[in-house]
Amino acid sequence: MVFSSIIFLFMYLPFVLLVYYIVPRKFRNLFLFIVNLIFYGWGEPVFVLLMLFSTAVDYTHGYFIDKYRDNKRKAKVFLISSVVINLSLLGFFKYAGFITNTLNVLPFVNLPVLTIPLPIGISFYTFQTMSYSIDVYRGDAPVQKNIITFGTYVALFPQLIAGPIVRYKDVAYQLDHRKETLDQVTHGVKLFMVGLGKKVLIANQMGAMWDAIRETGQANGVLGSWIGIAAYTFQIYFDFSGYSDMACGLGNMFGFEFLKNFNYPYISKTITEFWRRWHISLSTWFREYVYIPLGGNRKGVKRQIFNLLVVWFLTGFWHGAAYNFILWGLYYGIILIIEKFILMKWLEKLPSAVQHIYTLFIVMIGWTLFYFEDMGQLMSYLAGMFDFTQGIIGQEALSITISYLPLFIIAALASTPLGAKLYEKVKSGGFIWIPETAYCAVVLLLCTASLVNQSYNPFLYFRF
Amino acid sequence: MDNTKENKSILRFGPLVLFVGFIFTFCILFIIMPKSDYSSTEKRYLEQFPEFSFETLFSGEFTENFETYLADQFYGRNFWKGLNSYYNLYIGHNGADGVYNGKDGYLINVPVEEKNSKVQNNINTVVKFSKSIDVPVSVEIVPSTGYIMSDKLPVNHFNYNDDIYFNQIINACSTNNIEFIDLRERFKKSSSDGIQLYYKTDHHWTTQGAYEGYKQLCDKWGITPTSEEKFNIETYDDFYGTTYSTSGFWFTDPDKVQVWNNPDDTEKNITLEIVEGDTQQTYHNMYFFNHLEEDDKYPIFLDGNHPIEHITNTNVKTGNLLIIKDSFSHCFAPFAADNFNSITLVDLRYYKGSVSEIVKKGNFDKVLVLYGIDNFATDTDLAWLK
Repeated sequence: MVFSSIIFLFMYLPFVLLVYYIVPRKFRNLFLFIVNLIFYGWGEPVFVLLMLFSTAVDYTHGYFIDKYRDNKRKAKVFLISSVVINLSLLGFFKYAGFITNTLNVLPFVNLPVLTIPLPIGISFYTFQTMSYSIDVYRGDAPVQKNIITFGTYVALFPQLIAGPIVRYKDVAYQLDHRKETLDQVTHGVKLFMVGLGKKVLIANQMGAMWDAIRETGQANGVLGSWIGIAAYTFQIYFDFSGYSDMACGLGNMFGFEFLKNFNYPYISKTITEFWRRWHISLSTWFREYVYIPLGGNRKGVKRQIFNLLVVWFLTGFWHGAAYNFILWGLYYGIILIIEKFILMKWLEKLPSAVQHIYTLFIVMIGWTLFYFEDMGQLMSYLAGMFDFTQGIIGQEALSITISYLPLFIIAALASTPLGAKLYEKVKSGGFIWIPETAYCAVVLLLCTASLVNQSYNPFLYFRF
Repeated sequence: MDNTKENKSILRFGPLVLFVGFIFTFCILFIIMPKSDYSSTEKRYLEQFPEFSFETLFSGEFTENFETYLADQFYGRNFWKGLNSYYNLYIGHNGADGVYNGKDGYLINVPVEEKNSKVQNNINTVVKFSKSIDVPVSVEIVPSTGYIMSDKLPVNHFNYNDDIYFNQIINACSTNNIEFIDLRERFKKSSSDGIQLYYKTDHHWTTQGAYEGYKQLCDKWGITPTSEEKFNIETYDDFYGTTYSTSGFWFTDPDKVQVWNNPDDTEKNITLEIVEGDTQQTYHNMYFFNHLEEDDKYPIFLDGNHPIEHITNTNVKTGNLLIIKDSFSHCFAPFAADNFNSITLVDLRYYKGSVSEIVKKGNFDKVLVLYGIDNFATDTDLAWLK
């Protein structure tokens, strides 16, 4: 089930909210655990078993890691076993097909081609369950003795399918001791409305614009090609951050507080800054559970560069089992290394406009790598972005651009903190509820209209 | 929460009350309101509660159909569809759901893009078919509304490729001894003379447009068309066509639909046989006024879509015509019936048998392929022509 759907908004959510606040507090986790499974199983019921398996395995491992806390060696065995099982699940369901296809390229290798459907959100929840075992092992979080409560964490529907990746230690206390307040729920509603608007009213439209422009191919001209990838740049940001906002908002509605996942990434002046603002929960996860354990920057420059490349290879590969994602990850790894060791001191002296252009240029080329899985299509689109012989902008691309221009400008403005700054200025006034409520009304009306009409509404994370 | 100390008023829960009220209201309305089978405004059958079995559940079919069911049966669906369309229009798009919102209430289908065009395939099929029979074949294609009525289009629109498609067809016809009846010049001229050739809320040509097409055909075939003065023209209001239904621009004014009645054609001389599979029904008129009750009044002509229809006019002694067609022929055929004793209409979207068998048995003088260009450029059923 996805948030931006009628079934979620008008069936699942009313039911879950109603029952959640009726049942006594001690049953609330159990109730969430059950409805999480309905949420997850809708569309792909089989994978509920996988989720239950994952829950049971990690619960057991956490239990033994805690039990052998004083016996470092035994605890470590269970930790390694937990990580291996989680990575095997991810490896089997997500990467088996890719790996066999890759090996089949070698002479004398002829493995059967596997087509395993990818369980939705598996990349998110395996990372979460690994964080549990590691946090318990490190003593950063207490062991969870109640398997239902633990299951609630693993499959918590707000962040189940598209993040943010919630580390166990960040919610450990909330799982047992959260107190829902009306103010928190209201805040959640507002955040959810922001996210839904981002997804349905901006991302879906930018996605349709990108699809329309991409289809005309070379005839777009240089500017047309850049406008196309700019539309995709907006789509992926508003889609992904919209999902995160909805997740955090829903979390609030059930008394949880999740950490911020996006912080206006497109206003960054460097790529280093961009990655501090983009998908923060993923970068944090890799930093904490891969980069620092590998030694981070404490073992010399050579080792640091190696560590960065490992982390960025994995970051890329995490986004999908295809070469272009690895390429995309390494692309950022290399740029970050160059920034860190060479470019940063020069960049900082440049006018900020140049820094913004530099960053957006790198990011947009990055999204081109990210989008095209087919190398031929990728090269041909990249060529179109620099081939001035095809003219400035094709007729169709121009027509599409004009008809999406108002939304394109709205997307550009909404990528900056202008709105948030304005809100901060006026929110202390007594009448802030008027624009807030009006905003919610408009978003509800327009999103419902779009969903009822079954307009273009893609789910981008089925590869994650 | 961070803003609690600043705002203690109960009104701060406005967004919460609104949100909860909204989702619960529409949830309850969905559950208690009766479901409908058919949407008259959208002209389509609505999804019903999907069949449940473990098989459909595990294949994902049930959940997918259930979501369509929810969207189709959502309370106030017409309102939501209209809101979506007008929002899209005012946010800068030039239309909605593949229909341009043009000037003077014209709702015009967007052009068929060249990369999706099946014109070459379809004309090749016609050429191949013409070689397999020994009856002369003519092709008449109706230009698109957007091409002829370009002054009614929104300023920002895609190009209509009619000229490209017509040239493809002309090339194929001229090298293969097929007669092509080109309507473009006549339509441009008639349109600039103020004749309404196309509906505003439908993709079809009007009865008057069909009459222009008929006159062009008569010129080419050297036969005398029934003169305009001869007809009793009856006009009916409140016709909401297909582009109206798909676009959701509900505030657009309706069209009028005309029936051009030749007083000579009565139940004494006219027979219409409608063949559907093994069943056959016989009527003695070409107009079905029961469809005036509906929003879409176009089926008034020949009762809408059927696989095969035969029109016989005993006032005319000779002439046997086969028309391979889409729905553009429905308002055209009554004109042609005044010049042919017998007309057989075959619609390949519904008839999957062999047309050359019909030709063999039928003793036809002429075969006419008559399509609207949009259909001819997108149709996949012409492949059945053999």
